[in-house]
Amino acid sequence: MTNGPAIEVQGLRKVFPSGVEAVSGVDFAVQPGEVFSLLGPNGAGKSTTIGMLTGTVAPTEGSARLAGFDVATEPLAARRTSSVLFQEPVVDRQLTGRRNLEIHARLWGVPSREIAGRLEEIVEAFTLSDLIERPVATYSGGERRRLEIARTLVSEPTVLFLDEPTVGLDPRIRLELLDVMARLRERNEMTLLLTTHYLDEAERLSDRIAIMRAGRIVASGSARELIAGLGEQLLELRVHGDPGASLASLARAGIAGRDAFAVGSTLIVPARGRGADEARAAAASTGAEVLSAVQRRTTLDDVYLWLTGDDLADAA
Amino acid sequence: MATIANPAADRPHPRRSILSPVATLARRRSQLTVRTPRELFVPLLTPILFALVIAPALKQALHTSAAYESFIAVGTIGLLVPLNTMFAGLSVIVDREAGAQRELLAAPVPRPTLVLGNLAVAFAVTAFQITALIVAAVARGIPFDATGSGIAWFLAASAMFTVGMYGAAETLASRVPEPAEYIARVPAIAIVPWFLGGSLFPIAALPIGLAWFARFLPITHALALMRYGLLGEAGGLRDIWGMASAQTMARLSLLVVAAFAALLTAVSVRTFARSALR
Repeated sequence: MTNGPAIEVQGLRKVFPSGVEAVSGVDFAVQPGEVFSLLGPNGAGKSTTIGMLTGTVAPTEGSARLAGFDVATEPLAARRTSSVLFQEPVVDRQLTGRRNLEIHARLWGVPSREIAGRLEEIVEAFTLSDLIERPVATYSGGERRRLEIARTLVSEPTVLFLDEPTVGLDPRIRLELLDVMARLRERNEMTLLLTTHYLDEAERLSDRIAIMRAGRIVASGSARELIAGLGEQLLELRVHGDPGASLASLARAGIAGRDAFAVGSTLIVPARGRGADEARAAAASTGAEVLSAVQRRTTLDDVYLWLTGDDLADAA
Repeated sequence: MATIANPAADRPHPRRSILSPVATLARRRSQLTVRTPRELFVPLLTPILFALVIAPALKQALHTSAAYESFIAVGTIGLLVPLNTMFAGLSVIVDREAGAQRELLAAPVPRPTLVLGNLAVAFAVTAFQITALIVAAVARGIPFDATGSGIAWFLAASAMFTVGMYGAAETLASRVPEPAEYIARVPAIAIVPWFLGGSLFPIAALPIGLAWFARFLPITHALALMRYGLLGEAGGLRDIWGMASAQTMARLSLLVVAAFAALLTAVSVRTFARSALR
């Protein structure tokens, strides 16, 4: 028996031929049965990281192992243990749902005698019975996504990659699929690596979250740990005029530190024991015009905005 | 970092024959192909038109013998094979644009099997079309003079030529980003060599420089071999090699076409593997 993480990534880096460095040396490990999310804005390097782990993007440097198999030197074994739900549709639209599932099963080496049974189980679990004999071209977006998730499970992967699984779906279908994905956790100690920029999705599904920015992991931990990094309470001040100048005023007054940031005309400042009125008064004393000031609990959204936004604190 | 038991490593990973994924991929491709009948029949239209309408009309207008119809009937196979394989190559771009290629790349199968699966179907469709063309020609009364060994020469030549042309199509499809760009290059690859390769007239009728150029084209060797096999005449081979022994010339031309097939298949696998991975 091999002991170790289900996913182990060390110094993974990708520079595309155009010279763009999409991933700048990331390290992380995901334990068997764990759900790990990569969060970040578009272009942060999440999908490229998944591409390198699934063998569809060639790494420039670094190493990665899936269930103990090196993706570069043991690619077939590594790919056999994993399955991936890509961000964009990858099913054969002209073929039926059943045929798509069968092709996946055969390519992943599911024994022929087991295919029919597994398909029946999956079709029932994902309530695909009414769709399965129809060409995928006739499916709605949500139905197709459900089929694609079902397909990833046909080979009973040890590691499942979900790359932006709910992007572009309407809210009702998105919530249904979140339920489906939450149930995946219960299957056979499967390890999930999820990329998303929906924070609620990551918070709801994940044991741990890593936030990526410009190809690097800038923070990781549980949602609670990430929130604690910014403090439990925040002051939210809406200001008139240049938010950078207002932030600088708050910094001079000792209210804002380097972890304060602005989103449009709203300043977000870790409270650190100060109340909204105190912050308003301090800001007003420096000449900043404060339209409103409230104190509230920190959310994962705040952490995300702090870690992935422009570093306005530098201007302060 | 904590280490805990990983059940994944306990799973058996039996070695699979390469034939199993190739069969699955070929089955997938054939099911997609039969849903687009134009892939089966459109490449057949021009050669059949040539063999059954244009060649008899030329024979009558130019007062040539019945042998010219047979000459043209075989020559049109030299158009059918490149057209059909180029059509088949388009499916690689469709797979890439529709996203299906990413799923295939993530599958635990050797990357060359993705090319070989497509090749198997292109080969089968081309075989069907060549058979249909010959049956139509025979039904039209066009004479052939084939022996058992002649048919073997014909089959070897047409098979190798098909494999080589599919390699060219797959290589092109892997290198160009857009279907429009691919289609724009088809005439240069599929049709220009056909005019120069002894399809409508012997290469000896070409200006001397072009005749020398034609001797280096795989299609020239393939057509000369096909005529040697189906019509029992070695004029095409003699125009290339200028030797007395038809068997020796046939062997040399088969070697050329086989080398073309092997080289283009290797190039297509390499190009696909390099271009598909970002």
